[in-house]
Amino acid sequence: MKQTIKIVFFLVIIGSTSCSPKITSNFINPQPKLSIDQKVALLDVDHELPENIDKIGDLRFQDSGFSTDCSFNSLMNQARIQARKNGANIVKVVDKKKPDLWSTCYRLKIELYTYDGDVTSLPQQYQLQID
Amino acid sequence: MKRICISKIILVCSIAILFSNCATIISGSRQFVDIASEPTAAKVYINEIEIGNTPVQQNLKRNQEYQLVIKLNGYETYEMKLERKFNAWYIGNVLFGGIIGLIVDPATGAMHRLRPQDLETHRAQGTIFKNKSENIFIKVQMQNDTNSEKIGQMQRISTKK
Repeated sequence: MKQTIKIVFFLVIIGSTSCSPKITSNFINPQPKLSIDQKVALLDVDHELPENIDKIGDLRFQDSGFSTDCSFNSLMNQARIQARKNGANIVKVVDKKKPDLWSTCYRLKIELYTYDGDVTSLPQQYQLQID
Repeated sequence: MKRICISKIILVCSIAILFSNCATIISGSRQFVDIASEPTAAKVYINEIEIGNTPVQQNLKRNQEYQLVIKLNGYETYEMKLERKFNAWYIGNVLFGGIIGLIVDPATGAMHRLRPQDLETHRAQGTIFKNKSENIFIKVQMQNDTNSEKIGQMQRISTKK
C-alpha cells in the first residue's frame, strides 16, 4: 500500500511539474524590457534577418521528456516572451527539429536580436496563432 | 455469494474506468474565457493576436499561459496574464484509482485551469473575475489615460414630446 502511495505521488509530481519544454538561455547583451506597444518579429529558419542588428542572446528549447506544451507556435510564443523581457525585438529560428520518433516536440535553437527600425515592415514573419 | 462479489468487482472497475481521467472528462482540455470591459468595444489581444472587441469569448487550451491585453482609445492599456493553475479534478484520479488519468490529464492539459495572475491586484483596479462552471468571466474597468484630456461630453437627447 505504501509503495502504491509513493508511485501515485511520484506520478502527480511528474505530471504537475514536467509539462513544459526545457529552455536554456544565454544573454550576452540584455537590454531594458520592451514596452507593450513595441512589436516583436518572429522569423523562421527561411526568413531573412535585416541589416544593422545587435545580438542579445540565444535560446534553446528541448524536450524535457514529459513535455506536452511544445508545438512550434507555443515555443515561438515563449521565445517572444523571453525576447520582450530582454529587450529583443527579433526572434530568429536558426535550427528547427520537427517532432519525430525520438520526440513529440519541436526542438529549436533561437537567436534574439535588437533592431532599430520598424520590425512590422519586415517582409517575412511567422504569425502567431491561438491554438 | 459469488454473484455479489463479481457485481462488486464490476462496480469498482466501472468507477475506476469512469474516473480514470477525471479532469479530462469533467473539465475538458479547453476552457472558455469571456472577456468584457467597461466601457465596451475595447480591442482584445491574446498573445498579441487581435481576437475582437469586448464583449468577446475565446476558447483557450488549459496547458498554456496567455498574455491578455485590452486597448481602447483614451484609456490606459490593460494587461493581464492568464496562468495555469492546478485543477482539483486531477485528484479524482488518486481518489478513484485512475492511474491512466494521472498520465492522460497532464497530456491533454485538463489537469490545469486558467486563472489571472495577481488576481487581487487586478480586483483592486475594479476587475471582476468569476468562475462560471468550468469557464471564466473577466470584466475589466478601463482607467482613463492620464495623458489624455477630456474636451467634451456627449449629451443624451430627450425623445419625449
